[in-house]
Amino acid sequence: MFTKFFAAEDGPHIAIAPEKIFEINGFAITNSMIYGWVCGILIIAAFAYLAKRISYKGSKGPAQLIDYGTEFIINVLTTALNSRSKAIKYAPLFVTTFFFIIANNWLGLLPGVGLAINHDGTALFRPFTADFNGTLSIALVMIVIVQTLAIRESGALKHLRHYFQGSLKNPMTLALGALELFSEFTRLISLALRLFLNVVIGEILISVFAYLAGPGAPLGALPFTLMEIFVGLLQAYIFVMLCASYLGVATAHNHHDEDYATEPDKPTEARV
Amino acid sequence: MELLAEATNVVPLAKGIALGFGVLGPAIAIGLIGSSFMNAVSRNPESAKFLGQILVFVSLAELFGLIAFASIFIIK
Repeated sequence: MFTKFFAAEDGPHIAIAPEKIFEINGFAITNSMIYGWVCGILIIAAFAYLAKRISYKGSKGPAQLIDYGTEFIINVLTTALNSRSKAIKYAPLFVTTFFFIIANNWLGLLPGVGLAINHDGTALFRPFTADFNGTLSIALVMIVIVQTLAIRESGALKHLRHYFQGSLKNPMTLALGALELFSEFTRLISLALRLFLNVVIGEILISVFAYLAGPGAPLGALPFTLMEIFVGLLQAYIFVMLCASYLGVATAHNHHDEDYATEPDKPTEARV
Repeated sequence: MELLAEATNVVPLAKGIALGFGVLGPAIAIGLIGSSFMNAVSRNPESAKFLGQILVFVSLAELFGLIAFASIFIIK
């Protein structure tokens, strides 16, 4: 009897990478991409519907969630960029990223996602954020946009000088600057890996505990599903928070050299 | 050595060691972060507002544990 439940040979189905469903001209369409499209369409539809219901006099119903999330991200951006007008200027990008990640994380926990709906034994749906290509592309877009905004804010040469702080004749400055430049790539990889691993390992934990619980699978998976709801929210927050702090660092003006004097005065904002 | 490898299946052992040592570091790190946060809050209750930042550092430490967890599926 126990061999049926605890058989080591046929464990739960674990897939770290997304699986190919079909091909279009040699271009593989994976299950993550399909669910990413489905989620994207759902998000666009939901936002198009809810955007008209947000008002200054207090939104009602589900529009409140959008309202609250937007306000929350603007507060995060305000602390990272040290100015509320800048935060509101950059808010659309970060709020979109936040809601996109959170929606993908949460829609990935729905019961139909996984082997329940399958196509020749491979799951038809898989969360978009449980695919390293997906999270890497989100992180790549964010890092490239952060760099572009920083260059637009302070000019290409000044932005490059931001990495090489200090006298350029000092070889140490060049070495440290090269290291700083390289850290952009580690940021990219760590942003992508963090989101991907948190989501995919949540999926694996849920499937492992549903398998171990045997007949009581829903009960075994419940605590981890609840934990994943929290983790999905937390990871979306952390992704946006880190991107905001990267933007804050990249657009911060140098305090030690001559351009400090040309900076417009803002006496109300204390420098920390 | 081959005989030993045939006689004992070392794959679960390798997975266990990799996962055990892999999550050891992040566990200590998260404990230290939590303890220093509680220290800071008990010294100055105003600093309880930094919980969001604490979660960021927890996730930074957690990443390495997750890498260890993901890499055990590569061991065949």
